[in-house]
Amino acid sequence: MKLLTHNMLTSHVKGVTKGYPLIIKATEVKVNELEFNSQFVSRMIPKLEWSALIQAAEWLGHSQDLPSTLIPDYENDEEFLRKVHRILLEVEVLEGCLQCPESGREFPISKGVPNMLLNEGE
Amino acid sequence: MIRHLYCTAGAGMEELLAEEVQHKLCATQVEQIPGRVFFCSNADLQTVTQLKSAERLFILLRKAEPVSLPSNPAKAAAVIKQRVVGDPDIWRQTFLTWTALQQELQCSQQRGQKRKREDEEESLHTPSFRVSCRCSGVIARSYTSQRLSRIIGMAIKEDLGWKVDLREPVLEVNVYLSNDHCIVGIPLLKHPLASRSYMKHNGLRSTIAWALSSLCPKKLNDCVILDPMCGVGAVLLEAAQEYSNAVFLGMDTDLSQLQKAAENVKASGMEGRVQLLLSSAIEIPLADGAVDAVLCDVPFGRKFSCSSDMPAALPHLLREMERVLRVGGHLVLLLSLQLSAQLKKTICTQEHNQNVNSLDTNNLHTDPSNTQNESTDTTKPLMFHKSSSEMSNTPLLISSLQAQRTHRVSLGSTDAFMHTYTKIHTHTLSLK
Repeated sequence: MKLLTHNMLTSHVKGVTKGYPLIIKATEVKVNELEFNSQFVSRMIPKLEWSALIQAAEWLGHSQDLPSTLIPDYENDEEFLRKVHRILLEVEVLEGCLQCPESGREFPISKGVPNMLLNEGE
Repeated sequence: MIRHLYCTAGAGMEELLAEEVQHKLCATQVEQIPGRVFFCSNADLQTVTQLKSAERLFILLRKAEPVSLPSNPAKAAAVIKQRVVGDPDIWRQTFLTWTALQQELQCSQQRGQKRKREDEEESLHTPSFRVSCRCSGVIARSYTSQRLSRIIGMAIKEDLGWKVDLREPVLEVNVYLSNDHCIVGIPLLKHPLASRSYMKHNGLRSTIAWALSSLCPKKLNDCVILDPMCGVGAVLLEAAQEYSNAVFLGMDTDLSQLQKAAENVKASGMEGRVQLLLSSAIEIPLADGAVDAVLCDVPFGRKFSCSSDMPAALPHLLREMERVLRVGGHLVLLLSLQLSAQLKKTICTQEHNQNVNSLDTNNLHTDPSNTQNESTDTTKPLMFHKSSSEMSNTPLLISSLQAQRTHRVSLGSTDAFMHTYTKIHTHTLSLK
């Protein structure tokens, strides 16, 4: 699971109102080098919950000294975009789980794929 | 150099292929008939082979008026020589063009096949060939395809001196005779364009999987695109080929399908952009309005995750896809004919609203809000009784999906509809 995906995931357990962001408990994290596309990263940034991304990167120990609030004019800051590229697309949780911040329900991550299936009645 | 080419296409795909050749190849003289699209293009062959909605690619040799054959075989042979084979010079010319195109292809693929080169030099003027003829209509009643192939083959041999080789010919001559057409062409590639080298496990037919993204009313660059029932990922990977600046999320409840999807993603080199999740399409773990487009081949006849079958689940599925779609985002669905009919029932009130809105602006504030209240009322109890059996009979109305385009395609044994919708802003939404 990449942090880009994590940034969009919410807990949908019955009764949970926000369920975001999911807490990451990783046991295996990998960094895969991927081709950097500055245009793609800068256009993706407005779609992100910035604070949730930084929080997630910190949980994984890959915060890259990125600021907790988004800087202005990031479009032209290649160093900044490269760091975002790294935490967004290159850092990947292979094993572990995601925990709903409200209900405490855990969603296992196995071989990089989060299992978001709920049981009946949940 | 302008080349006269044509492609075969699955039933219902001709229109999309015609659009694709115009858009990607700047093709001219585009003409479609059932199962085939003709065009002229000076695009390099490598670009032509990137067409996504076509089955096979041919160089056009002859397109003539339909032929009617006398039942006397000797007379028929004379008619075929004149009307189907025609001018031998055109054949020689087309063969030269074909040879040039083959070399162009081999150069671009960097395949120096020496044995073939020698063969080609030997057969530069008299290539070996075989005829594969398909016929329908009146002709098919008195002649079989095999018999016609033989007669046409004989005519070519006599007129051009080319050698017949049924096993490993240099050229394959394709002839299509029907009540409306007489078409002769030579395939440019051995493999169909529709078989994708980047797919390890095949799911939905590649051309149709591609069509889902191409039918989207807007370009999907810089978008987040979701397939909530992705299977082996055919739809996502076809869309990812088309939009290199988009992110794709694939969900499925079947882990073995997702594993195949993961292998496909890896084989196609799309690991950075296609993400997979084990999740139900009825409870999508995404926030409202989180995605820009939803593309989905809705499975039918198969048991669904929430212990209810697809016809019963469809309204909930639609509701959930609509929820995660942002306002202005697009929904493209491939549905069986039966599910299509049900889809229309689920959104019919909405279409009615649109008509009212566009025809009479005075009703804008009263009429839609009434129906929307109704729709929220019916929605609520249903949402909490997913496994109850009565839900399939109660309409669940969705008022925010505006129908754009419907397209019928053949899936081989059965037909299906592709539906496109755009999510519009409604009162229901702002009340949430």
